[in-house]
Amino acid sequence: MIKITNLKAGIGETLILNGVNLEVKAGEVHAIMGPNGSGKSTLASIIAGKEDYEVTEGEIGFEGEDLLELPPEERANKGVFLSFQYPVEIPGISVSNFIKTSINERRKAKGLEPMPTPKLLKMMREKMELLSIKDGYLSRNMNEGFSGGEKKRNEIFQMAMLEPKLSILDETDSGLDIDALRIVANGVNKLKTNDNATIVITHYQRLLDYIVPDFVHVLYNGRIVKSGGAILAHELEEKGYDYIIKEADKKWA
Amino acid sequence: MGLIDDIKSFSEKEKLGAKKNELLQSFLAKGFPTIKEEEWKYTSLKNIVAESFSVEENGTEISKGDIEKYILGFKYKIIFLEGVLISKPNIKGVDISDFSNFETKNDDAIFGLNSALAKKGFTIKVENNIILEAPIEILFFSNTKNNTFVQHRNKIIIGDNANIKFVERIQNLSSTKCFTNHLTQIHIGKNTNIEYNKIQDNSANSILIDNINIYQLQDSNAIVNTLIFGGAFTRNTLSFEQNGSNCDSNMNGISILDDNQFADNHTFVDHKQPHCRSNEMYKGIYLGKSKGVFNGKIMVRPDAQKIDAFQSNNNLLLSESATIDSKPQLEIYADDVKCSHGCTIGQLDDEAIFYMRSRGIGAEEARAVLTYAFASEAVNNISIPEVKKLAQKLIAKKLNVDLDFNL
Ligand SMILES: Nc1ncnc2c1ncn2[C@@H]1O[C@H](COP(=O)(O)OP(=O)(O)OP(=O)(O)O)[C@@H](O)[C@H]1O
Ligand SMILES: [Mg+2]
Repeated sequence: MIKITNLKAGIGETLILNGVNLEVKAGEVHAIMGPNGSGKSTLASIIAGKEDYEVTEGEIGFEGEDLLELPPEERANKGVFLSFQYPVEIPGISVSNFIKTSINERRKAKGLEPMPTPKLLKMMREKMELLSIKDGYLSRNMNEGFSGGEKKRNEIFQMAMLEPKLSILDETDSGLDIDALRIVANGVNKLKTNDNATIVITHYQRLLDYIVPDFVHVLYNGRIVKSGGAILAHELEEKGYDYIIKEADKKWA
Repeated sequence: MGLIDDIKSFSEKEKLGAKKNELLQSFLAKGFPTIKEEEWKYTSLKNIVAESFSVEENGTEISKGDIEKYILGFKYKIIFLEGVLISKPNIKGVDISDFSNFETKNDDAIFGLNSALAKKGFTIKVENNIILEAPIEILFFSNTKNNTFVQHRNKIIIGDNANIKFVERIQNLSSTKCFTNHLTQIHIGKNTNIEYNKIQDNSANSILIDNINIYQLQDSNAIVNTLIFGGAFTRNTLSFEQNGSNCDSNMNGISILDDNQFADNHTFVDHKQPHCRSNEMYKGIYLGKSKGVFNGKIMVRPDAQKIDAFQSNNNLLLSESATIDSKPQLEIYADDVKCSHGCTIGQLDDEAIFYMRSRGIGAEEARAVLTYAFASEAVNNISIPEVKKLAQKLIAKKLNVDLDFNL
């Protein structure tokens, strides 16, 4: 589904990604872990199309297309979804209006008529139920005054509404209480099919108990320095990153 | 030749009568206000009045189709052409008639000029206890062959315990320039509610100086919504005089300007009596090389205790060449007063734009939605759904997007 080859990117003079290679196939779940500041969110933002970063080398292919050529909205329309580590507050726009606009703008891009409002509202109700989201939430302004956990749940709600092919969940677990974590993870699992794929960025094994990854990667200094199966996450939880970092520092010294 | 010469030669040709002539001479002695005057510091009429305008009404016509294009379709319509009444509704308890006895106010040049040149003024008199479900739509058309300087003079006198809404629109239909001096005085009786909506979406060759003076008696509530989308030059002066206790004066303003458009909102609330409130929210959105001015004056007189006065002026500058001059002016002579004001000037949040784009919303649309969100607080204060819808439509049009901001 997505193939990242030797991706190098940064801001100004500083290089943040030093040659990332990653391939995710339909039906797979990949977890990306790694120390703070290693470039996980940067990688996620570049996939979503954030223009602040300059890609100096490498490619991102998405279903055979060059993703780097496309503006963020077209990537979204092709099925890329990013659950933000820090969701943005948008005062003056209600959750329902925001979602209605994004769904209808995507339909417009595909040459479809806007979704009839009753159908849209019904779909929202269903997805709210899936994520145990309370009533009254739809009329609140987008993320404004939301608690950390509410913001994360709102990200997954949008994911459920937009039904993306590739979802990147950037630390969606941080800020969620234990019950919310289970609800959100179950929601993600229910949305999983053989045709979509998920990249989970997390610091904690706990989330991976619910969303079991096919592959786990460690990103360090802008490179994937180690990959393995679900077992690797357990190993990291136990041993920390130290032994991997030492190896990597030696290799790329 | 400029407008002053045009006015002079008109006054020599036309017999204005002693009183009007006196008003005109006192105007001519000073001329149009210049940027040396505090109230016109950021608003220059120099280039406008350097041009030549016809001061006479030159009997034009409009078609039904023209009218239909600009009406919102409410039950009650009052239509003027070149300041002359051409159509009025029959409403029980509402009398619409002309008057020719013009007074002036202080030594306001524009006011004096209007009194001197306006041929007829129009009064809408509303009896006590009249409550109208549908708004009264007032349309002022002009359609002249030459550049024209037009005077509109209106008086609205509303009795006690009434509830009336107005929607006003000034529309130039011709391809020549129209400079309108528009003056409205509104007297509001005890315990009466009014909402006055001004849709300023005139053609690009229109110049407007608009004065509204509102005089309130006790327990009355006045709301004025000013929506500026069109026109080359707009100067609005809106004043409220609270002459009784427990009055509410509310103002909402939305300006969206682009190209070389200019709009100035001068507001003045005169709190003369205790236990009153004023609430003011002006939002300005500036694109292209547009320029905005806001001046909000609040006066609380010595006897006006227990006053709650709130003012905000928030602006979005969406282009490097756009500018806004914003000035609050508080004069408070009473001690038991709650008064606050705030002014912001900002840009759209890039993080928010990326967030929306990552959800499939195009860059233009994302900007438009954020811009609309910025204005929405003021739009939501409009109580007439048709006017609210029109405002949304005009905002979308101005921002070049095909979006429906409603759900
Ligand atoms: N917009 C930016 N401007 C300057 N530096 C940036 C920017 N974005 C990222 N960086 C830098 O790039 C590095 C990687 O940041 P990134 O947010 O990708 O890390 P991360 O792996 O997501 O960390 P965390 O686990 O703390 O979320 C950091 O040193 C960060 O300061
Ligand atoms: Mg991060």
